[in-house]
Amino acid sequence: MENSQIALSTLTPGFADPVHDTQAVFRTLLDALSRPGTVGVVEKGLPEVRATRAALAAFAALLTLCDYATPVWLAQPDSALGSALRFHTGAPLVDEPGLAAFAYIHDASAMPALESFALGEAESPEHSVTLLIRVEALTGGAPIVLSGPGIQHTTTIAPIGLPEHFWRERAALAPLFPCGIDCYLVCDSTLIGLPRTTQAKVN
Amino acid sequence: MSATSASPSSATRRAWMAVLARTPRADLEAALQRALQGAPPPAYDWLRPPEIGLAMVRGRVGGSGDPFNLGEATVTRATLRLRGTGDAAAAVGVACHLGRDRRRAELAALADALLQMPEHYSALHQQLIAPFAEQQAAQRAERQQDAAATRVEFFTMVRGD
Repeated sequence: MENSQIALSTLTPGFADPVHDTQAVFRTLLDALSRPGTVGVVEKGLPEVRATRAALAAFAALLTLCDYATPVWLAQPDSALGSALRFHTGAPLVDEPGLAAFAYIHDASAMPALESFALGEAESPEHSVTLLIRVEALTGGAPIVLSGPGIQHTTTIAPIGLPEHFWRERAALAPLFPCGIDCYLVCDSTLIGLPRTTQAKVN
Repeated sequence: MSATSASPSSATRRAWMAVLARTPRADLEAALQRALQGAPPPAYDWLRPPEIGLAMVRGRVGGSGDPFNLGEATVTRATLRLRGTGDAAAAVGVACHLGRDRRRAELAALADALLQMPEHYSALHQQLIAPFAEQQAAQRAERQQDAAATRVEFFTMVRGD
């Protein structure tokens, strides 16, 4: 995977204006993580027609956050996304989820256990993974009540397409704080941030 | 980074890219216009808009010693893809040169893409690559001659007694 050549003739172009577009997306990602439960929208900047089937918000987030020092793990093979990331960001693709700094999970029903990802160390909790999980929709599913830093009282989200074990495994990681996993739920051009400090209650 | 596109042969492409990387912007612009015979340049999409960065230049003492960092140099690179011309794979042009001239990288990448298309190859090669390759070779030979003229030979005299 790592040494295969990048097919430039079918490569998906990156941001039209890389400096300003990545800054705008970074702001969206930061706001989403500091106000868990609010829906962030990735505005324009990426081409309408893309070779990859990945969600627009996930593609934009990976283009913004990755560089040569952040290994990326793709749960489902996607050569178009892998080529685009390697070309535009220089990020290496890894085969082991535990080695990744960022992971994109296209099919949430087949996602591995959260313990298989890097959780960080007590001295360096920032060396944990950030997951981008594609869901079918951000509203309309079973309600989940969120509370924690960045939420005044409680807020409710209702994503569709997340497996049951995700919330269970996520709650099991809470005692390991400051270690843990930050997640983004993405759907097309929208996303919800779910930092490790947020407590989720499934009704 | 390894990257491919529909290229004639990597050795010939490398040769013309080396010429393009050393050709000044004004010459590129004029020669490209001449080769296209006034026709507007073809439409293209940026895969990587011209961007300026730093590259570490490394050297070896005497060409064979231990490598050392000589210093950083500004480098501009760009990658573009010509808009689809039907069934054939779209030509991808890549440019990389010393300095911080974005327009020059754009022109060189465009020339690289056009050179890969059989219908543009001969005109561009005659108007652009051949003359500038010759000019650059002459310049290099002249510089080498100038340097060779200042060469000092050291002899050790052995006292014979």
